[in-house]
Amino acid sequence: MLAVDLMGETIRALNGSMVAYDGQMNFKRQGMTGGEGLRGALRRRVAGESMTLMEITGQGTVYLASEATEVTLIPLQGDTLFVESESLLAFDGQLRTGVQFTGLRGMGTGQGLATTKVEGHGMVAILSDGPAIGLEVTPGVPLCVDPHAYVAHRGQLQQDFVTDVNWRTVLGQGSGESVQFRYQGHGLVYVQPAERGGGIMEI
Amino acid sequence: MSTPTFNPATLPSNDNVNPYAFCVDLNGQWFTQKGKMIAYYGQIRFEALSAGPLDALVAAHFHSPLYAHDWIVAQGQGKLLLADRGFDVNSYDLDDGNLTVRAGNLLAFEPGLELKQSIIPGFLTLIGTGRFIAASNGPVHFVEPPIRVDPQALLGWADCPSPCHHYDHSYMRGALGVARSVFGIGGTSGEEHQFDFTGQGTVLMQSSETVADTNTMLRDLEGQIGMLGVGGLQRLQGVIQQRLAAERQ
Repeated sequence: MLAVDLMGETIRALNGSMVAYDGQMNFKRQGMTGGEGLRGALRRRVAGESMTLMEITGQGTVYLASEATEVTLIPLQGDTLFVESESLLAFDGQLRTGVQFTGLRGMGTGQGLATTKVEGHGMVAILSDGPAIGLEVTPGVPLCVDPHAYVAHRGQLQQDFVTDVNWRTVLGQGSGESVQFRYQGHGLVYVQPAERGGGIMEI
Repeated sequence: MSTPTFNPATLPSNDNVNPYAFCVDLNGQWFTQKGKMIAYYGQIRFEALSAGPLDALVAAHFHSPLYAHDWIVAQGQGKLLLADRGFDVNSYDLDDGNLTVRAGNLLAFEPGLELKQSIIPGFLTLIGTGRFIAASNGPVHFVEPPIRVDPQALLGWADCPSPCHHYDHSYMRGALGVARSVFGIGGTSGEEHQFDFTGQGTVLMQSSETVADTNTMLRDLEGQIGMLGVGGLQRLQGVIQQRLAAERQ
């Protein structure tokens, strides 16, 4: 659960994630465009990264939660965080959001072809199944991640697939870890200690 | 609250990263269950047990064809992070000992250990010296026999004889009880059947009745069908049809 103290500022949060508040709060459902303009909304619709947010303004404390999952706070200082829209709980009002097309990356894991990016200065709250672990990536030290355990990443990272699909995989005798994301460059990747189900790459 | 961040140098070596994730300092080979790897640094390859070059290793350390499909070998050098559905994860050291653990809860083990199938369906026995990693839903409790435990809460046992089944007498008594025991139907409270441990040793229990994998029981039963003859199979077919008819009503 996340407690946010507000002194007249605005935050944006997942629709329906408010569980309690005290003080004076105003909840406003964001329109279709979600603050990204008509073009942004169109991109989001095309990308299947649907995300319904609400704006919260007021004085007091608001408590946010979603399905008893863990909440991780990530401070952004002008950099960009890439996160699945389903893992986003709330963020400061002045942060900008958008959709980033990631190519084939999400195909196998049922997460679509795109991911949500959040940029600017402020706090982002993300959701994970179990406490998130941050893993650093530096040049020359690549990191491989199971797509089902991936939550978010930030920094200057190149992402690519590692596959060792061979004839055994086709026969159903694969290693079960045939597809991984590999991150290279400089940044931070967040993983969760659990694996999401779904997607076609259960091999 | 800030998220702990790690790099290959600061990740713990063969220790827990947090209660739900474990970091193996891989230098050689480890057996791991499929799909439990969440991330890794370094040069690590994952091979199915059927891969040719692994024949000698599998022949020496993996004596459970029933579960061979669920297991792979991670080999190479680097830091390997393992986790299982947000369950608590712990490592255990065996020193020339034996320990039996629920098949679905065993995440990984060192090749110093030998894996065998337990006589109790759904459990695997590790023999030898080395380290293994197991998951539990909630913290693990170590208790000493004599004790009776709920089958769902049982995680495993070490250095003591295999358990036997224990049924509450009062539950089996009377006309309804007979019907239950013969046809296996009627209401069950789930508490009339326990595993009974006697002798010296340690029993491992988890603080929940959530079983990691219900599939393993089925697989075990399937594995035992091979021991039946034609007559036995026909009888089993009859019993299954009877049960299915009862379920449909």
